[in-house]
Amino acid sequence: MIIFKQWRLWVSLLLLIGSYILIKPNFESQTSDSKINFGLDIQGGFSYLLELNEEEYLNNLLVKTSQYIENTYSISSDIDNGEIVISKNQNLDALTNIVIQNLGLEINEKSDKQNSYIFSKQSFNKSLSDMTLNAVEIVRSRVDFLGNKELSIQKVGLNKILLEIPGDLDNNVKEVISKTAKLTLHLEKNNIVGSKTFINEETGEQVRVQEIPNITGDFIQDASLQYNQNEPVVAFSFNKEGSDLFAKMTSENVGSRFAIVLDGSLITAPVIRESITGGSGQISGGFTNETANNLAIILKSGSLPTQIKIIQEKQIGPTLGQEGVEKGVIASIIALIAITLFMIIYYKISGFFTVITIISCLSLLFAMMSLLNTTLTLPGVIGIVLTIGMCVDANVLIFERIRENFKHNIEDPKNHGFNSAYVTILDSNLTTLFAAVFLFAFGFGPIRGFSISLIIGIISSLIVTYIILKLFINITSIKYLGLQR
Amino acid sequence: MINFYSFKNKSYLVSLTLIILTITIIFFKGLNLGIDFKGGLNFEVKSNLTTNQLNEYFDFIDSDREVLIKREVGSDVFSIRIESGDNNPVFIEEIKNIIDQNPDIEILLSEYIEPTFSEELIKNSIYALASSLLVIAVYVWIRFDWQFAASGIFALLHDVFVAIGFMSLFNIEFNLTMIAALLLIAGYSINDTIVLFDRLRSLTSNEENKDNFETNVNNSIKLNLRRTILTSFTTILALLCLVFLAPVNLTEMPIVFIFGVLIGTFSSLFLVLGIVGDLNYEAVLKARDS
Repeated sequence: MIIFKQWRLWVSLLLLIGSYILIKPNFESQTSDSKINFGLDIQGGFSYLLELNEEEYLNNLLVKTSQYIENTYSISSDIDNGEIVISKNQNLDALTNIVIQNLGLEINEKSDKQNSYIFSKQSFNKSLSDMTLNAVEIVRSRVDFLGNKELSIQKVGLNKILLEIPGDLDNNVKEVISKTAKLTLHLEKNNIVGSKTFINEETGEQVRVQEIPNITGDFIQDASLQYNQNEPVVAFSFNKEGSDLFAKMTSENVGSRFAIVLDGSLITAPVIRESITGGSGQISGGFTNETANNLAIILKSGSLPTQIKIIQEKQIGPTLGQEGVEKGVIASIIALIAITLFMIIYYKISGFFTVITIISCLSLLFAMMSLLNTTLTLPGVIGIVLTIGMCVDANVLIFERIRENFKHNIEDPKNHGFNSAYVTILDSNLTTLFAAVFLFAFGFGPIRGFSISLIIGIISSLIVTYIILKLFINITSIKYLGLQR
Repeated sequence: MINFYSFKNKSYLVSLTLIILTITIIFFKGLNLGIDFKGGLNFEVKSNLTTNQLNEYFDFIDSDREVLIKREVGSDVFSIRIESGDNNPVFIEEIKNIIDQNPDIEILLSEYIEPTFSEELIKNSIYALASSLLVIAVYVWIRFDWQFAASGIFALLHDVFVAIGFMSLFNIEFNLTMIAALLLIAGYSINDTIVLFDRLRSLTSNEENKDNFETNVNNSIKLNLRRTILTSFTTILALLCLVFLAPVNLTEMPIVFIFGVLIGTFSSLFLVLGIVGDLNYEAVLKARDS
């Protein structure tokens, strides 16, 4: 039989089996890495876009770098308007070009008295991006401290984090993510120089302490909600390094006070009665169970590198999502049936081949989407419907070319027609494909969901028309194609 | 047979009129920017109240925040847009709580965008649009001659621009999804155009009839006419299903796209090949032969 000599037959079967294997996990209950995910607009849920403060990070980085230069090379420097200014009345030999480069700095201005340096754009962006990755983990541990939620947290751009939580939400998520949770311990200091006054916003208590913290929350290993005389408190413990520092600080300063400061406001300022060597402490002061619990969660997760601002917030109720899916599926099926009927009426047997082509195109599309673990959103569904349109267009172009060749008695009308039409299809689909790729690269949100299904759809459509449709055209005698009017 | 090429001057006139109309409409009506591009708060709510009742209900919001309430066509779903102002995070929580307590209003979707971020989204969308258009131009230029690239890009910008005018005229919200719709129109338009270009190129390279440019143009269109109509028809068929069945907050995209298909069909049938001819492509062809 002629059909078995067609390589397209075997490739078609391979495509079919491959698609089946790839699509199958979507219908099984266990989680798998190659499944189509549903976007929040389909399954309902919450999405937050968080932005870390770039300016604050730049300042922190400047301070850190300036301190590092001082500690390592004994060269003092000032920070002025985003620049590190180093005066030339000291020995700058250690500050070679290589050192400057390694610090990510570049020279901004040189004068007789001083040099000023700024971070090179590249190194700052890299550092900013690393910080955001770090913050992603902190946000994850805060929102999902039990590790049982199906979250999606990803870095977007240089300093943004997209947090998506499907389904219902306990109310304190916003509370937990928006706190920086910078815990610092400061010793009391009465000089004006290098000191700062912190105020407790509730009690009005204030204390003047050393501005640079003696110990920071970075050393905290564990924190939990506990009760002290029936009042909720937050108990925390330091790691080894932190315990040593804490022991040193308390033993050297018995009798003086120290301040526990959270995000710039004073929580409490106890007097040190004896040296504390156990490396643990307690924060008390007007907590409710919930606020104490939240504080424990965020202390344990570590502090965020900078303040976080919620710049986009979306909440999609489950009704809308479900309605969307149902309607979307019904719309797609009706569109499919309408096109199918039309094609069969218009092109007879060829129209029937188109139907098979469309179905194969859809299964290949879903197979690729599963393989790539794509998130399907409602704009994505629209993209799929349009893919069907492009696939139909390819079929029409091919049929019309074959019909035309047949009419003009051109030799081998089927192959000739298919090939010349396919060149046109490639040209037109590739332009759309390239546009979609750029759209995906630069777009955000719904644009991405739409372009990803368009990209995958165009590729599937090109493959199935070349293999499956051509197979049917090859094995059918032109008399039966229904194209000779 | 219709002589499409002879219509070209009339078509230019039609197209010019459309462009002028679009400019006028956008100038006077402006674009109905959604919160993606303006920042602010947006609710989709289900309610059996009327628009007026809802307007009264939301009267408690400070007058310095503009409140826009619109019923989605043919449904009991309303879109409520509130301008951003001071201390947005607190405001959002407050208003959500207030609405939650009203048994007549069910929140289907709530969305907030910080104005600084929406500025970024505008920039982002312009990059996305510009880069995809550039890629299309480069591709057409590589595959065809520059006259084709110029004409194709003109048609595409023309279609997208007129579609923006359509959105302004009917007060359709301009948001990120619409950027995707506009790019789709661009894709559809260039798709249609390229199919014709391919034909014209193969006809003009045919020894027997390469000299008569006008006949070649007409033949390219004639030979593709059935395909153009069939494809537009099936695409519109699919889109109509989406218009009637898509979730309420997504019906506008297919409507805009249907308009785009119509205008794209017009520009590919009547505009593009005329422009190629007027860009002196005939002379180029002749020069190439001698």
